[in-house]
Amino acid sequence: MHVPDGFVSGGVNAITYIISAGVSVFAVREANKKLGDKQVPLLGVVAAFIFAAQMLNFPVAGGTSGHFLGALLAASLLGPWISCLIMTVVLTIQCLLFADGGLTALGTNIFNMGIIGGVLCYYLLVALKSILPKNKGGYLISVAISSWMSVVLGASACAVELAISGTSPLGIVLPAMASVHVLIGIGEATITTAVVGLVLNTRPDLVGTYSYQDARTFNTMEA
Amino acid sequence: MKHSFLDNYSDISSVIHGLDPRVKIIGFFFLTVVCVSTPPSSYFSFGVYFVVLLGVLLLSRLPFHHVFGRSMAVIPFVLMVAVFIPFLKKDVIGGGYNLGIGGITVSNSGLMVLWNVVIKSYIGVLCMILLSSTVPFPKLLKGFGDLGLPKIFTTIASFMYRYVFIITDEAQRMKRARDSRCFGGKWIWHSKVIGHMIATLFIRSYERGERVYVAMLSRGFDGDLKGKEGVQRLRPGDYIFLSVLIPVVTGVRLLV
Repeated sequence: MHVPDGFVSGGVNAITYIISAGVSVFAVREANKKLGDKQVPLLGVVAAFIFAAQMLNFPVAGGTSGHFLGALLAASLLGPWISCLIMTVVLTIQCLLFADGGLTALGTNIFNMGIIGGVLCYYLLVALKSILPKNKGGYLISVAISSWMSVVLGASACAVELAISGTSPLGIVLPAMASVHVLIGIGEATITTAVVGLVLNTRPDLVGTYSYQDARTFNTMEA
Repeated sequence: MKHSFLDNYSDISSVIHGLDPRVKIIGFFFLTVVCVSTPPSSYFSFGVYFVVLLGVLLLSRLPFHHVFGRSMAVIPFVLMVAVFIPFLKKDVIGGGYNLGIGGITVSNSGLMVLWNVVIKSYIGVLCMILLSSTVPFPKLLKGFGDLGLPKIFTTIASFMYRYVFIITDEAQRMKRARDSRCFGGKWIWHSKVIGHMIATLFIRSYERGERVYVAMLSRGFDGDLKGKEGVQRLRPGDYIFLSVLIPVVTGVRLLV
């Protein structure tokens, strides 16, 4: 899903750059409010974690594999703005060091993966959480659905941007991107749910979006 | 364990490696942006950009297989999104080529779109590889800082660079432990195992982050990293690099 240089037009690049820069500035301010000076080492180490986790490929079906995105995972654990900030740093470094995603398309990539995956889908998670049963099961289902959506929506946004840029007609690129990422999203959802479930069992205080009373009863450290 | 996947070859010595990080950042960013803005039909311009990059590559004494091998990173996206375009796009005025295989036609405008994305993404990738292979990452961050990037980003990135090796090691140790227990996961239901590995990795990383913060506090950390060296002055070589690169690229873009 990392868009290289030349695939999206100047106009799309400019708009997504402006949105991503604005959101990043806001995210820095919000992260500062939440973590204070603790943010520097903590965000650095968690960004390194997302980086390392993205290297673990998971199987999609038979031969093909996808890699973990992690934006919704970071959002469900640490909140939308920290997640967005971490994704911005990770995507920038992937662009500079691995040439994974183009420099001029960096704004687009941050928009697709950091803002849609980290911020928009966080609010989807909050909305789902409020309509589903208020217990651990309902919470994990909303994590699963919103992490699946983070991949599918990110890929669809990417397809729409390619279509607006005139690179590929929408009728072709949207089904192609969406169908592949519907599968990759299942892997993302399975993994995110497993991660959040295990963190809930061991360090429930780290799951920022889980606010139910029974959180402490799962704490094996106390048991 | 051996980590050579980040900025390898960035510590060898050559004319290009000796330049100030700032001029390399400006130079390669400039070339990428100009290249992306070039109309696809000016083939000569792309040729010149490629020759400029080839010149930098020769001066930098980087091994060719390293640069061209890594530049293949761009292929998956091209294959997935762009390779079908020539077959699907319909020309407004008949200019298609009939391949004579069951009515499959290749359209001229579609080929142009394909050429456009392939050449631009390829030159962009080459620029980034040359940048990251000629500047060690900490110096690259300092260069960005000197150019005015907000400090919060450079400090988070420098912490990330410091810990990514440790956490990758941790991930590799877990992976080896898993594989030595006959995991062999190929199907989607094996994802749960990977999920639990990632969860363990997250908790260990987060707790490491907390420990690092406490250790920093006990050493007098007050939210600001100290001991920064001042901004270095540019040397003649830096001016020469920019005064050759920028006029050549701009000239070709505007005149051809």
